[in-house]
Formats: sequence, C-alpha cells, structure tokens
Amino acid sequence: MGNVIVEMEHISKAFSGVQALNDVKLELREGEVMALLGENGAGKSTLVKILSGVYTRDAGTVRIFGKEYGDLNPTTAREAGVAIIHQELNMCRHLTVCENMFLGREIKGKFALNNAKMEEEARHYLDELGVDISPRRIVGDLPVSKQQMIEIAKALSVHAKVLIMDEPTSALTSKEIEELFRIIGRLKEQGCGIIYISHRLEELEHIADRVTIMRDGRFITTAAYKDLTMDKIIEHMVGREIKERFPRIECEKGEKIFEVKNLNAGRLVRDINFSLYKGEIVGFAGLMGAGRTETTRAIFGVDPKTGGEIWLEGKKLSISSPLDAIRAGIVLAPEDRKKDGLCTKLSIRQNIALPNLDVIGGKSGVLSRAKEDALCDQAVSELSIKTPSVEKDANTLSGGNQQKVVVGKWLVRDSKVVIFDEPTRGIDVGAKVEIYNLMNQLKKKGIAVMFVSSELPEVLGIADRIIVMCDGRITGELDARQTTQQEIMRYATMFENKLGKVEGRTEGKERG
Amino acid sequence: MDKKKSVFGKLGEVKGLGSSLTAFVGLIVIYLVFGMIDHKVFSAQNNLNLMRSMSKYVLIGIGQSYVMITGNIDLSIGSVVGMAAMISCTLMSHGVPIAAAVLVTVAASIAVGIVNGFLVGKFKLPPFIATLGTMFVTRGIAFIVNGNRNTDNIASGIGKESADAFQKFFYYGKTLGIYNTFWIALITFLIFFFLLSKTRSGRHIYAIGSNVDAARLSGVNVVMTTVKAYTVSAICSTIVGLILGAQAGMGNMDAGNMYEMYGVAAGVIGGISPLGGAGLLLGTFGGAGVWQILENGLNMIGAQIGLQRIVIGVIVVMAVLLDVVIRNGSHISRRAKKEA
Repeated sequence: MGNVIVEMEHISKAFSGVQALNDVKLELREGEVMALLGENGAGKSTLVKILSGVYTRDAGTVRIFGKEYGDLNPTTAREAGVAIIHQELNMCRHLTVCENMFLGREIKGKFALNNAKMEEEARHYLDELGVDISPRRIVGDLPVSKQQMIEIAKALSVHAKVLIMDEPTSALTSKEIEELFRIIGRLKEQGCGIIYISHRLEELEHIADRVTIMRDGRFITTAAYKDLTMDKIIEHMVGREIKERFPRIECEKGEKIFEVKNLNAGRLVRDINFSLYKGEIVGFAGLMGAGRTETTRAIFGVDPKTGGEIWLEGKKLSISSPLDAIRAGIVLAPEDRKKDGLCTKLSIRQNIALPNLDVIGGKSGVLSRAKEDALCDQAVSELSIKTPSVEKDANTLSGGNQQKVVVGKWLVRDSKVVIFDEPTRGIDVGAKVEIYNLMNQLKKKGIAVMFVSSELPEVLGIADRIIVMCDGRITGELDARQTTQQEIMRYATMFENKLGKVEGRTEGKERG
Repeated sequence: MDKKKSVFGKLGEVKGLGSSLTAFVGLIVIYLVFGMIDHKVFSAQNNLNLMRSMSKYVLIGIGQSYVMITGNIDLSIGSVVGMAAMISCTLMSHGVPIAAAVLVTVAASIAVGIVNGFLVGKFKLPPFIATLGTMFVTRGIAFIVNGNRNTDNIASGIGKESADAFQKFFYYGKTLGIYNTFWIALITFLIFFFLLSKTRSGRHIYAIGSNVDAARLSGVNVVMTTVKAYTVSAICSTIVGLILGAQAGMGNMDAGNMYEMYGVAAGVIGGISPLGGAGLLLGTFGGAGVWQILENGLNMIGAQIGLQRIVIGVIVVMAVLLDVVIRNGSHISRRAKKEA
C-alpha cells in the first residue's frame, strides 16, 4: 500500500445555512483508486470541489503530500498537484487539442508562440497515456471519450498526482470505458492517486481499491472494496432514516386514464411503457440523468419523439408541441424553474395567466382583466403564494413561492394528467408540504399525477406506486407501501452491463 | 389583496410606466429648453410640423418595439419603407389606381414580415443576421422595381387630381387642424397599443421575449408569435413608406435609409428593453417625440448636422446606461442584503 497523499479531516461546509458537509474525512493513497460513493446530494461533489479549490471549507484540515494547506484556490490546488476531470468537460470546443492543453500557460518563443514546442509536449503526454490523437485536432470534433483523455493528459502535463474524476463514464460506450480503465491502470502505476465518483456500482469491481461512502453530507465509512458487498454499499448509501412525515392520503384507485406505449426519444428515453390511474400518484424515482425529465418532456411535446404512442382516456393523442398536450389536458410543471418555468421579467399575474389566456381571452382574444384577476386570486389563495402584490415581478419571489407559481398556473384549468418534475427541489419544508397537499388534492379530484423526484423519502411518502428509471429505461415498478429505499436504489443503479461485453456497442456517439 | 385600490395605486403597479413617463417628461423639458433659446420653436406652425414629422418615428418605433419586446430586432425596417415607397409610387406613376397600388404594397411588405418571422422563429436564425439578409434583399427590390431609378411623379400616371388626393391623405392634408400624418400615426398607435396590452397575442409577445422556453412550455406558439411581431413591424414600415411617397409625390430608392435604427432609438429612449420582455408602447411614443424634438430643436437653433448626430447618439446611450445603472444598483444592494 502506498503512502498517504491526501488527507482531509473534519471538513465542514455550509451554503447559506444549509449544511452540505458535516465533519467529513477522506484519505487517498499513492497508486490507488478511491471510489467516492453516495446518493445525489450526499456531498461528494462539494467535497472534491473543496480539494480542488473551487469552494473554501468552513472547518477542517487538508493535507496534500503531507503539507497542510489553508484556504485552497484553484491555482494553489493545481500547484499542489490536484486536478479535476469535470463531469461537464471544460474545454474550448473550437480550439485544438494542443491549444486547450496549454491554455493560459502558453509557451512563448522570442516573438510569438512556440507552437512546435507545445505540440511536441502535448504529443508526449498523449503518448504516455497511449492515446492516438493529433494535437492539431479541433477538440469539438472529437468524441466525448477522447476529450476526456485530453483532460487527463492536460492534468498530467501540469504534473498532477491527485486526479479527481466525477462520473467519467456516463457518456462513454463500453469500449471507451475499457480504454479509460486501462489508462486509470497506467496512472496508478505512475503513482497517481485517483478519486473516482460514479453511480455505476458495477464498475467498481474493475477499478476500485477502496471505497468511501457519504450520506447527507456526512462520512459513513471507508473500507477496502473487497471487504464490501454490493448490498452493503447500497445500505450505507441510502440508510437514511425517514424522519419527516408525509401527508399521504388514501384514495380509491380508479380507472386507467393515461398510457404511454413504447415511448422513445433519444438515448435517455428508451422503450418507456407505463399507465396512470385516477386517484393515484405515481412517483418516478432514479438518479440524476436517468431520463425522467427527458421522458416528461417527450410526453409533453417539448422534445421530439422517435417513436411510441400516448393514450388518454382511450384515445390516441398526437402531441407535437406543448400546446397539443395542454389542449388534451396534460400539463407539466418543469424541473428548472428559472429556465423553463417562469417568465421572470413578467409579473406574477402574467405568469399565472400565461397558459390560461385561452380562457381569459375567449374567442376574440381580447383579455378580460376581471377574469384574469379572479383566476390569479384563486391560484394565489389556493397555494398561499406569499407576495405583497401579484403585480410584482416573478423573480422577486422566494424559491418556494416561485415554485408555487410554476405549479399554480396549471391548477386553475381543468387538466386530466398533471406532471410534476422535481417540484420540491430547493424549497423550504413549509412550501414542500403545501406542494404535497396540492398533489393530494389533485389525486382526490381524480386527476392522474406523475411525480418525478430524486428524493427517495418523499417519493416513498407521497406516491402510491413507484416507477424506477435508470439510464433511459424503466428498471422497476414498486408498490410504495411495500418497498424500501434500498430496493429502489438497487433498481436505480441497474445499468445495462456495458462491461465485459466483447462486441462494441454502436450507440453512445449520439451525445457529445 | 386590496380590491379597492385607487386609480393611482393601480397605475403605480403598471410595469414600465415609469420609464415611459420619463420619456414624456424628457420630451417636455427638451421642448421648453429649445423654446427658450428660440421662440420660433413654440410657433403654431412649428408645432404642427413637429407632430407631422414625429409621426414617422412613432410608426417606425411601434414596429421595432414589437420586435424588440419579443427579444429580437428588425434591421429590414428601413428597406421595407423604401420598398413600399417604390412599389406604390411605381404602380401609381404607371396609372394603377391608388387603392390597388396600396393593396399590392401592403401585401409585398407583409410577405417580408412573414419571411423575417419564419427565419427567426422557425429556423432560429439570429435575428440580426436574418433581417440583415432581408434588409439587403428588400432594398434591392426597391431598386429594381422601377429599373434602378426613382419613379416619375405619380401625377403622371394617376392624374393630378388623384395624386393630390393621395398626397393630402397621407401628408399634406389636415383634419381638425392637425396634419393627417399625425392622425394616421395616432390611430395606428392606438390599435397596436390595444393589441399589445389587451389581447392574447400581445401577452404572448411579452412572454417569448421574457423567457422563450417557459412560454413554449406554457403552450405559446413561438413561431406564430414571432411572425406576428415581424408582420406588425412590416405593416408600420409600409405606412411610413406611403407617407414618404406622398410627401415627395414620387418614389425615392433611398427612402427610409437607417430608419430601423431610428426605431431602436425611439423604443430604447422610451424604455423598451432591447433584451425583450419589457417596455410599454406608450414609451415608444414618447421616445419618438424626444428624438424628433431634438432633431427639430437643434435644427432651429442652427446646430450643424454633425452636432445633431452626436447629441442624439449620446442621448440614446444615456437612456440605456441610466437603466442599466439603476438595475445593477438594485442588484448590488439585493446581493449585499443577502450576504448580510
């Protein structure tokens, strides 16, 4: 076992009052792969961002190669030998491989840049990794996997000895993953330590030497990988007690009103089949990037479908735009409030009115202010949106109240299917409960509710049935009253086994 | 919520009213200052002239404001003005009756608006590029229509009487003591003001300018809304083209040159956000007034054309700079509060 090269102890970090990390520790040795595991929001990314100098810690000590560091910033972290290979690659797509590798530290000749020297060095590090890419290629023309190799080569070129890889395989095909693992092996031989973050637990047996598990911003355990079983790992990851109480109501499950058959839309929506019934909330669980948001967008007509049928009350619908979906009685409260949910420059009233202008305007299209005010008052009082006036801009509201506007604008019209995508993300507990109550009201009214959420406790507490997705496919369907977080997590990490297959898959080039 | 708010309380809540009124206040101040320097500014005839010449900017401003509120820009306005003047006058100088000539002109201009709308809304071209293209094409058409030369006097085609009627209707005639041109602009303004503030389509125009994704997810037809905005712009430009034709009694190939920029200036001075989603047409009216009174006043006091340009340029930048400073100021104070 090699020397300890990174020691992080008693690390704490809070963001505007929310404790993201609480007394966490992490240790990395020379020549090992340390897998850092945990659910979404467990604090993995925050921890590695502290190590790479993106965030400053509130408390705790960091030692790199035995030297203690105060507040790290990205430059000092890099000088200490830490490099991070980002989940979203940070490169200038229009520049060449070489230009990217030497960005900000170009080698100058007497008068101009010494391109020959830079290219030679770039080639040297690429060769060292055994990667065959010309330094003159334009980065944007290369597949994501090669771009990743360039990031790694760049890290080597600044003599990084601590490499952090955040979900490096999510966009790679099986062949590319094998290539990456080969390179990780090489890096280990050269004495690099690698912190490896991934949700794909099946990868661990190929590369992980040790495992650190985190949950809710706390350190849970560190152990050698061979001493752990998969069940044990999942248990550590989700072993969270459900303290909150959820206001689930019991309803008679009614008839089937909505059905999705063989829906396909890109890599993250593959052969989706499910039905919704009256008086039932169906939770959609899964890890981030499992394709749940993409599924809602395909159903709602935001993104094009490549195949599949959508049936409502026994009739086949053809939905090619959100307008079609709304007319049919399907509505969506999207995940990203700021991007998809709100017109922030418009008033609260105008936001609530926007999807209901057909009602407010009638046939002539001339808006009735009286109707608009009535409708708006209804939404504001039903959801208790807290604002001094509905004429205020939507972006003056707090997150929770913004979310209520995003949701509330749909409730004043008669819909048959309501889709909520992460409706409680980033809002306070009080607002959460109001959103839950609202879903329950819809359920009581006989409206089918599709509830996408990454918070397992709330899915378990509110939904009647849970559909689990992983990597664009439905991997399980569970009764919310019978199942456990562990069981959901098992389905949520049921990736198609990309590894160990001899024949290379053809897909995977669609992204990047 | 208090339902019995006073009229003023309600008005105070209307967004963008502040910057619109600022434009009017500016208009009055500038007017008074110039008047004090040279009393001729206050003369009845000058006031009538002022109202007539500001009408062109009002119309152009309405069109450009519609497009700017959607978050786009229309560079083809000036060329459409020129094309409208050339098509209508060419037809009339060849004896085509006024009504028919106007109809053909309107149809041609609307076609340009629709093309702009589809290029930007449907094919997602950057509006700057799309309308730059149509700007050149329409100006080219304006040249070609009469074989690369200005038209003959329209009286040579439709006769003196009809030509007089046309010119009076759009430019030289008065109704209730005020030039018809102003009435045309005012009526057009009222119609488009109503459409923008009181109808579904108008609300959609604000929505796509504020957040096109959110608007689409709320069921707004983004393509049609964009087409509508560009069509309004084209219609306003046509009217200006007809006015210029009537003023000269003939079609001038260069008519309307640079007008798209005057439209931007009128809108921006009146508080229309060049980023979309915000502003009132009332402000554009005021902005057009500011623009015209500046031009007229500087002219009256004998400022050179170069100086006029400089003053106008500075005013436009100041109007936006003020807006940015105020907004950033509030941003900074909000951030400071958050951190405290």
